[in-house]
Amino acid sequence: MHEDKYVEIFNLVKAYPNPYGDDIKVVDGFELNIKKGEIIGLLGHSGCGKSTVLTMLAGLNEISDGGIIVDSREISGPGPDRSVVFQSPCLLPWLTAYGNVMLGVERVFKHATKAQRKVIVEYSLSVVGLADSMHKYSRELSGGMQQRVGIARAIALKPKVLLLDEPFGRLDSLTRMDLQDVILGILDREKITTMLVTHDVDESIYMCDRICMMTNGPHAKVGKLIDVDFQRPRVRSEMIEHPKYYDYREQILSFLDECELEKEKIAKQKAKVA
Amino acid sequence: MSIKYKILKAIDVAGLNFLRPVILLCYGEEPEEQIRKIGLFIAVPIMAFCLFLYLWGLFAPMHKTKSGEVPTPSVVWDSAKGVWAFHVREKNKANAYNLEGDSRDKLLEQAQTRLSELEPMVARVNEQLAEADGAMQSSLASKIEPIKAELDSSKNAMREAQKARQADLQARAKAIAADDTAAKEKLLEDYRAHLAQIETERESLRSYEEQIDEIHNADFPQRAEAIRAQSAIAEERQYLVKLIDTLENNRQQKLSDIETRLEGFESSYYEASGADLLKHAKSITRTESLMVNAADSEYAKPMTLPDQVLRSVACVFAGFLVASLIAIPVGIVCGLSPIMMSALTPFIALFKPVSPIVWLPIFFIIVGGFIPDPDKHWLIAGLAELPLIGWMKINPAFIASALTVAMCSLWPTLVNTALGVASIDKDHINVARVLRLGFWSRLIKIVIPSSLPLTFAGLRISLGVGWMVLIAAELLSSSEGLGKFVWDMFNNGSSQTFAQMFVVVFVVGIIGLLLDRIMIVFQRLVSFDESPTSI
Ligand SMILES: Nc1ncnc2c1ncn2[C@@H]1O[C@H](COP(=O)(O)OP(=O)(O)OP(=O)(O)O)[C@@H](O)[C@H]1O
Ligand SMILES: [Mg+2]
Repeated sequence: MHEDKYVEIFNLVKAYPNPYGDDIKVVDGFELNIKKGEIIGLLGHSGCGKSTVLTMLAGLNEISDGGIIVDSREISGPGPDRSVVFQSPCLLPWLTAYGNVMLGVERVFKHATKAQRKVIVEYSLSVVGLADSMHKYSRELSGGMQQRVGIARAIALKPKVLLLDEPFGRLDSLTRMDLQDVILGILDREKITTMLVTHDVDESIYMCDRICMMTNGPHAKVGKLIDVDFQRPRVRSEMIEHPKYYDYREQILSFLDECELEKEKIAKQKAKVA
Repeated sequence: MSIKYKILKAIDVAGLNFLRPVILLCYGEEPEEQIRKIGLFIAVPIMAFCLFLYLWGLFAPMHKTKSGEVPTPSVVWDSAKGVWAFHVREKNKANAYNLEGDSRDKLLEQAQTRLSELEPMVARVNEQLAEADGAMQSSLASKIEPIKAELDSSKNAMREAQKARQADLQARAKAIAADDTAAKEKLLEDYRAHLAQIETERESLRSYEEQIDEIHNADFPQRAEAIRAQSAIAEERQYLVKLIDTLENNRQQKLSDIETRLEGFESSYYEASGADLLKHAKSITRTESLMVNAADSEYAKPMTLPDQVLRSVACVFAGFLVASLIAIPVGIVCGLSPIMMSALTPFIALFKPVSPIVWLPIFFIIVGGFIPDPDKHWLIAGLAELPLIGWMKINPAFIASALTVAMCSLWPTLVNTALGVASIDKDHINVARVLRLGFWSRLIKIVIPSSLPLTFAGLRISLGVGWMVLIAAELLSSSEGLGKFVWDMFNNGSSQTFAQMFVVVFVVGIIGLLLDRIMIVFQRLVSFDESPTSI
């Protein structure tokens, strides 16, 4: 069924050469299907290969083996149909917030009139709460505001898939909660298929429809999938009080602990062999 | 509050941050801190400069050269004023040549009254000079007389002594027997002693003469002052005479003269008949062509220092423009393509260290090949017609100097641009990749803006290098400008021109400083990050 396999990742492999020139498969046999409009979280220990999977889906990182299909077409290279928000906002510093968003909009909506493009840019900036700071340069914006511009830039392109790689990683917890709600608001309205890479267990439960937990690398793949069965739009305070919430939390944490234990076991074995 | 912010911002952009504490002090912010900063950034440099002037004035007169003493600051200042006065006067004369009607008459009258005012002053300064001369002679005489008397008396005494010794030796020589070797040896020794004695006596006489010379050469401030006053007035008088001469023979006057002559010829032509007709016709046509020449004539104004400064600045900008037009595109290509970079690296490494002194003759010959006859070449003629730069008389020497500047100054821009393009942020490249920007829009929207700060840093260095190179190039190529001015002054070799060379030092320094400031402003305007530009 097409709707269920809007994004299809099959047998995805990424091999990096180690310092001696041998290939190490960092990600090996990663398989995942994403439904249309779904928000899927990617969770795992640091260094397991989450960013690698996400950048391969974005097309910024070459695929060693396997493939990715988006909307019935296999991807090759990056494109504006899969827009990315990175951990650092990486805005173009010589452009204003408006200019940064406009750069992509001009490119994607080639046939729109100037006025239409302006409306799109202004709308996306006001959605993330930057209506008053549109014409500021990135050096004049705080880190949180810069990240908002990054989000506005991504959603203004009306992408098929939105890729978020720890978009709140560098923000303080208040700003982080703020931005979580901003993104959820947009996604509830626009129903964009989204992949969210995160470290934060609570964040993943609050934001995602499904959480994909990766095993530790090398040879990382999908370890466990959890459906988060809460209605949208979600209310943070209600969720936190719900017993299911703690159930999910428990499941995720125990999986992560298992991974950690396994890692230690392997390390001990290696030490013995040595 | 916002005005203060704007002023501070403007100061920052202009790179005049040393004024910051002054502004803050005016607004009463942390007065003690601001006063400390003013002391550090304004008072200390000023004091250091004053100390420098003092030491200069102290040590300069100690060294005597062929062109007189090394000039002191005040001499250099006077010389700068002289250079400026010369410029103003030449300008006035050139202007006088073009004046017509009332304004001409007015200026003529002014010049004549001033000249008549000057005449008594000329007499007075001449008198003063004569007086000073007299005073100097008498003072010299009074100082030299006793020394001379001493000299004469000791000369006489020595001559007597010499004669006596000579006679004594002769008498002894006669008395020596043929086989008395000991006595002969003694005589030889004494004769040697006699010669040595003569030498030391001469030496002592010479020291008297040196004393006299020293007195002759010593400064006589009163007379020097009188000479200066006299030459200043003589110069002004000379100028006024020339000005009046120019006014009386300016274009309009010449034209009306010729016109009356023409009328005369014409009337006699119509009165005449027969064979004379042709003779008169010849006179008429010749006068007509004279008239055309007179109408086109200009005052032959020599290049003055300010003109030469303008021409030098124009030359450096011409070279800088050529350098930028080459270096920026090539730098971008090198930054984009490792193949081009690797292909061009040997050229950069090889040509960068080559001195302008080597490039200039090469360019001079190459340009000469393109423009064998400058007076008839379309490019030179076309440039001479242009409104703002026509007066500069751009010639092959100018072009060769500009190309030398370009050749020597393009490297910093090229290398910096290549570096800026090559070291573009990977995140920014990713933005371009996600948006699938084409080559040109990637270049224009991402690559060039991100390399702009480094490119401008390179341009700033290039302009500085170009300015240094230019002076040497002009000096070698005799292209009218600061370099040629220095060379002319050097060849002139008088103490006045020696001082003018010091004036050039400051002119070159100040202009170099201004060029650098301008580039700092540009650099600040394009720098998007807050990285401080070094001042
Ligand atoms: N360019 C590269 N060359 C070699 N190895 C790499 C390269 N990029 C990543 N790796 C390796 O791949 C593994 C996965 O990296 P990745 O960045 O995907 O981890 P991650 O899950 O995103 O970690 P984090 O949560 O800390 O961001 C790491 O062990 C890393 O060392
Ligand atoms: Mg990562």
